[in-house]
Amino acid sequence: MKLRTQNPPHIRSRESNLTMMTDIVIATLPLYAMAVYYYGTRALLLGGFGVIVSSLADGACQLLAGKIPNIRDLSGAVTGLLIPLLLPASAGYSMILLAALFGIAVAKQPFGGMGQNIFNPAAAGTAFAMICWPKSAFAYPIPFERLPAMVDDTVRLVSSPAYSLSLGGTPNIDLLDMLLGNVPGPMGGTNILVLLTCLIFLIVRKTVGLAMPAAFLGGASLMALLTPRVDAPALTAVAYELMSGLLVIGAVFLINDPVTSPKRTLPKIFYGFGTGALSVAFRHIGRYEESFLFALLVMNATVWIIDVWGEHLAHAMRRKNREFKTNPPVSEPAEQDVGAAQK
Amino acid sequence: MRSYPRKGILLEQNKEPGLSKEIRILPALPVERSELPGPVSSTPDLLAPYEIVSIAKEANIVDEIDGRRLWKKLAQAARESVSGIVVDALDDEPYISSQLAPTLQFPEQLHQGLRLALRAIGASKSSIEIYRNLFDLDTRIPSSIMGVKVDRISGSYPAESYARRRMQRNSTLVVGACALLFLQRAVYEGLRQTSAFVTVTGDCVANPGNYEVPLGVSAGALLEAVGLITNPKRVVAGGSMTGFSLTDPSTVYLSQTTRGLLAFAEEFQDMGYACLGCGRCTEACPQGLSPYFIYKVMQSHRKHHIELADADLCIGCGSCSYVCPAKLDLAQVMAQAAAYTHRRQTSGGQP
Repeated sequence: MKLRTQNPPHIRSRESNLTMMTDIVIATLPLYAMAVYYYGTRALLLGGFGVIVSSLADGACQLLAGKIPNIRDLSGAVTGLLIPLLLPASAGYSMILLAALFGIAVAKQPFGGMGQNIFNPAAAGTAFAMICWPKSAFAYPIPFERLPAMVDDTVRLVSSPAYSLSLGGTPNIDLLDMLLGNVPGPMGGTNILVLLTCLIFLIVRKTVGLAMPAAFLGGASLMALLTPRVDAPALTAVAYELMSGLLVIGAVFLINDPVTSPKRTLPKIFYGFGTGALSVAFRHIGRYEESFLFALLVMNATVWIIDVWGEHLAHAMRRKNREFKTNPPVSEPAEQDVGAAQK
Repeated sequence: MRSYPRKGILLEQNKEPGLSKEIRILPALPVERSELPGPVSSTPDLLAPYEIVSIAKEANIVDEIDGRRLWKKLAQAARESVSGIVVDALDDEPYISSQLAPTLQFPEQLHQGLRLALRAIGASKSSIEIYRNLFDLDTRIPSSIMGVKVDRISGSYPAESYARRRMQRNSTLVVGACALLFLQRAVYEGLRQTSAFVTVTGDCVANPGNYEVPLGVSAGALLEAVGLITNPKRVVAGGSMTGFSLTDPSTVYLSQTTRGLLAFAEEFQDMGYACLGCGRCTEACPQGLSPYFIYKVMQSHRKHHIELADADLCIGCGSCSYVCPAKLDLAQVMAQAAAYTHRRQTSGGQP
């Protein structure tokens, strides 16, 4: 009997890359359901188009790099699912196409593909599309008006609450409507309640942790509280800032991208808090009404530095603990021994 | 109740049905009785410490937790005048219950063995440590065995190595439960240690359970005697987390420290996943290291960060490999990084 040897451990957890990616795909499905409810079946067409383009681009880039595309790797499909959710439901197919191609072929694969990219592909692609078509990327259809498959000039497009906020005015929209997503806005970014449910699903499945989204929303709230843009009661202003634009969908999907986020808890909190604060700060100085994606990309670039800094911190903590264990302080030796033993 | 590693992983234990079955001696592999010279003491409670140590030496008892001879451990503990004995029946690795099952099934003999060992080293305190997170178990863990307090450890997986380190710091002697059983047999029945308790299980094994097996039997013969349903693709000697897999079971022989023999029907398949950077390994590492960071640094050409990562603190528990969703062999990378760090440190900064 000849057997192949394997390194320990000889049992493995059932979770795999595939299950993690499937979790994210499952979490986007309620958002697509809501989008169909508000805007009609065009939402599904956009999603399907995004998935096909990104998956094909992902596979083609891998073939070009001399690798065999892995069918279990759903990361390209996830990028394709997220891009339409960040754009208006009236976005043209060319916009999705360019966003997906930029995300995969510029932001992801040249860095080495899956797991090696510095910038989140969905965020980079969408930000690129926003720069290319600033007008149509920030003009949104009205909920409950069915969109045709091909959007033409007959479709009524309006601005989102984020635009009125950027002009310094209070949006004339009920907060409950904003919570339910009954406002013009990015296709998946307006359904705050559904998004929070998706977040709870992902946290319960342990696909994402609580630290980063919480720190992110905390950082954004604090920044909004300190630098109010609108003349409203402080908490109302914070609620408007949080619920407009892409902050909540970012807290669920983009900030939690495992590839482009730090690994230890304290760096995670730092990164989340920094991204949140920076997104709101960029709203003051940026040209666009929604600047979360740009803040995210800026913070993505610092992740490795944050990680190394986190390792420095952990290293220093270990050194301190070890010194304490090997040379406990001389006073009260008995008690110190017990304390060291429990460490 | 104690909880050891603050981090670490919770594992499905899969100890049933082996644990609740009686420990058997296989008819195909009978255990030979090898009697000690000289008469069996009729009053074992009156033996002097040096007599117990010499009987342990004669009986050739090996402690299954570290492979050291029991008489050496006892003699050293007597010299260092330790305060007590902790019986190690932790068995925190899934599938393995070769310490727990004898502890639960022979409590009287274990208690007698423990009393002998305590007298041999001149100590009085004693406790039994058992891992508690055995949620898929039919057996209940008692709170005391024959009046000896049972410490139920409620930690995550590498509880055993942490428990052992803590006990060594507290100047107690840690002895495996099986070694004490063999000490009892040597003193009360005058028998040498010619067998060991081994858990034979896995999805290929027809009759999983704990067996008393003569020493020196090959792993293949043991599997054959227990019975196989299908031909195994993987055979593992030792624990499921830290044991080593065998290329040819018929040429590997059981020793006193082989606590388990596992036969699995399926090989791991290479799914071709890449590291996602999810950070689960960093969350799981009981030592607070970051296998992700070490993996990245070891892959890169600029390795100056490696000393930051303290890879030499790795205890080799395998938790990082277990949780990795990309199924990377992180435990191996950690071992390489530890060796690399050591080389770097000994050669003054240059690898």
